[in-house]
Amino acid sequence: MLKHIVEKEIRDILISTKFTVTFTICSLLIILSFYTGAKNHQLAQAKYEAGKSENLRQIEGLTDWLSVRQFRVYLPPQPLESLVSGVSNDIGRTAEISGRGEIPVEDSRFGDDPIFAIFRFLDIEFVFQIILSLFAILFAYDAINGEKEKGTLRLTFSNSIPKDIFILGKLIGSFLALVIPLLIPVLIGTLLLPLLGIQLKGDEWIRYSLIILSGFLFTGVWLSLSVFISSLTEKSSTSFLYLMVLWIFAVMIIPRLSVIVSGAAVDVPALDEMNSKKARFISQLWSEDREKISLFKPTAGDDMQTTMNELNKFMQTNADDRDKKTNEFSSRLNEERVNKENLMQKVAFTISRISPVSSYSFAVTGLAGTSVDLKSSFRKSVEDYQIEYSNFMISKTGQNPGSGMRFVISDDNDEKPKNINPGEIPEFKFRPVLSSNLISGALKDIGLLLFFNIIFFAGAFFSFRKFDVR
Amino acid sequence: MSTNFIEAVNLTKKYKDLLAIDHVSFSVSAGEIFTMLGGNGAGKTTTINLFLNFIEPTEGEARINNIPVHKEPLKAKQSVAFVSENVMLYTNFTAIQNLDYFSKLGGKTKLSENDYKRALLRVGLQKDAHHKKLKEFSKGMRQKCGIAIAILKDAQVIFLDEPTSGLDPQAGFEFIRLIRSLRDEGKAILMSTHDIFRAKEISDTIGIMKEGVIVMKSSRRELENKNLEELYMHYMAGGGDREA
Repeated sequence: MLKHIVEKEIRDILISTKFTVTFTICSLLIILSFYTGAKNHQLAQAKYEAGKSENLRQIEGLTDWLSVRQFRVYLPPQPLESLVSGVSNDIGRTAEISGRGEIPVEDSRFGDDPIFAIFRFLDIEFVFQIILSLFAILFAYDAINGEKEKGTLRLTFSNSIPKDIFILGKLIGSFLALVIPLLIPVLIGTLLLPLLGIQLKGDEWIRYSLIILSGFLFTGVWLSLSVFISSLTEKSSTSFLYLMVLWIFAVMIIPRLSVIVSGAAVDVPALDEMNSKKARFISQLWSEDREKISLFKPTAGDDMQTTMNELNKFMQTNADDRDKKTNEFSSRLNEERVNKENLMQKVAFTISRISPVSSYSFAVTGLAGTSVDLKSSFRKSVEDYQIEYSNFMISKTGQNPGSGMRFVISDDNDEKPKNINPGEIPEFKFRPVLSSNLISGALKDIGLLLFFNIIFFAGAFFSFRKFDVR
Repeated sequence: MSTNFIEAVNLTKKYKDLLAIDHVSFSVSAGEIFTMLGGNGAGKTTTINLFLNFIEPTEGEARINNIPVHKEPLKAKQSVAFVSENVMLYTNFTAIQNLDYFSKLGGKTKLSENDYKRALLRVGLQKDAHHKKLKEFSKGMRQKCGIAIAILKDAQVIFLDEPTSGLDPQAGFEFIRLIRSLRDEGKAILMSTHDIFRAKEISDTIGIMKEGVIVMKSSRRELENKNLEELYMHYMAGGGDREA
């Protein structure tokens, strides 16, 4: 019995004009999203390589490591960014490393090309989140009440059909009719990836499969919700209206509202306010140091070189001391802010998970490695690198090249100094969150999507039991 | 044990303050057409809805093959076919596809396309219509499809809810011919209509319904020398007692 209902549902959908139109649109968008994603990845990769080369080129020709005041590092583009861009275009992708101090992360892609910030990129997340959810509504908003309006429900239930089998058949049929055909463009897109230069590794394939699975689960949520609403209302026009309102709330309102609510609940200090505090503190330290510097008296007598060394050592000690105090102060402020930021984020994420759209978004951005964690993992990698870089520079120059004054005396020696070798600078290695952690993090939201499916199906099941089929 | 295929025993349906069906009792045996004749709101469709378990009785029982419908609806409906005023099938499907689906729902899973074609030919739908989509069908053609579904299900019991309403005379005549042939095969048929002419033409028993009550029930033989139209008007005007 279930098989016949499923078959009928699939056939009914597949031969409809509605399906032809939506399938064509979805297929084109899916393939296009793979294509543009891959192309964007290629561009980002080229930009990344060019940035690295340019960075080294600027150092080439220098003869003294002390002249290397800053070194730029870049966030390498991740292959799965091409499918789910997440926050990857919003966050800074480069950082200028000096030996000490805070590291500003800058140059976000949207900062470079603001037009993309307005219209965003076409990616798989967008196709599933917006297009497929709407199409799922379009296919199932009249699943039950539409049959009643057409009169087919009476004829159907004049047979000995259990209601639960009917509704299960409806749901399975419409899900398969929507999802199986869409596997074709997804498969084409998948085949396009290596052709367009995106090579996924073993763990990335697993994450990619889970991204697609999440998309289909998310589609299932809208299908089961549509069937549920359709079995709650008498008229298909009413269920369509309700579903549109729910869609707007789920996609547009709840995620934004969650940020507003969490912002009101948790008072996170503004960055400007923090920077101002830090600047005042640093300025105060400098004032103190200026007094110390004015009191500096060399002990070496007339030997200029020794005096310079003594002065440099004095300045270095001051800088180290200042740096230590600044770091302590900044760390305290940063920690307070990060804690509050994390709390606010947690509140916002928890509230927004009321909407399956947020769960889907968290799942896929988490799996693609483009969630908000990308920003913190890049920052962490940069901070770790700063220590490595600083140690390297100390080994080369005997001092930390970060902020601090340095005095040199010219050497009249005619011997041409050798160029430094930029290749010696330790390579920056971005350490993304481990795949296993990404997957386990996303499983919570995938589970939530499954939960939404079950809840809405149960809702459809129970409301249909009471549905008047006449 | 009763040999009646269709049986209403004190069947009552009440909606808040409205008594839609008031202790209605009748039975239909094999090879019999029982027609419920009455105006709009008389309770004819409600009675059929009770037999199809679309609604539950407030009191009494609707039985099919001695099975109380509201207690064992799935079992009772195994031997039921239903044709409504507007047979609504899937308009994107062809006649054959509709027959295939509804026959399978009716438990006939081993039928072939030839069986469907034979059924369609029997109800008067020629070959060129077999693979046409239902959206191209007239109402009469859809009604014929509905009968074809009932034929394929080979149900012992057939419910017809205003089946000839809106049909042109030719289609109405063909439809009646089909119903008769089904009756002759031994089916028990319960039909509702407000068409006195058709009722008299086809029925073995006629029950005139008014305000949820069968106010008159007569067999074909009893009605032979009576003017059904006059009787009907008489009862509609408020004459006569309730049928026991």
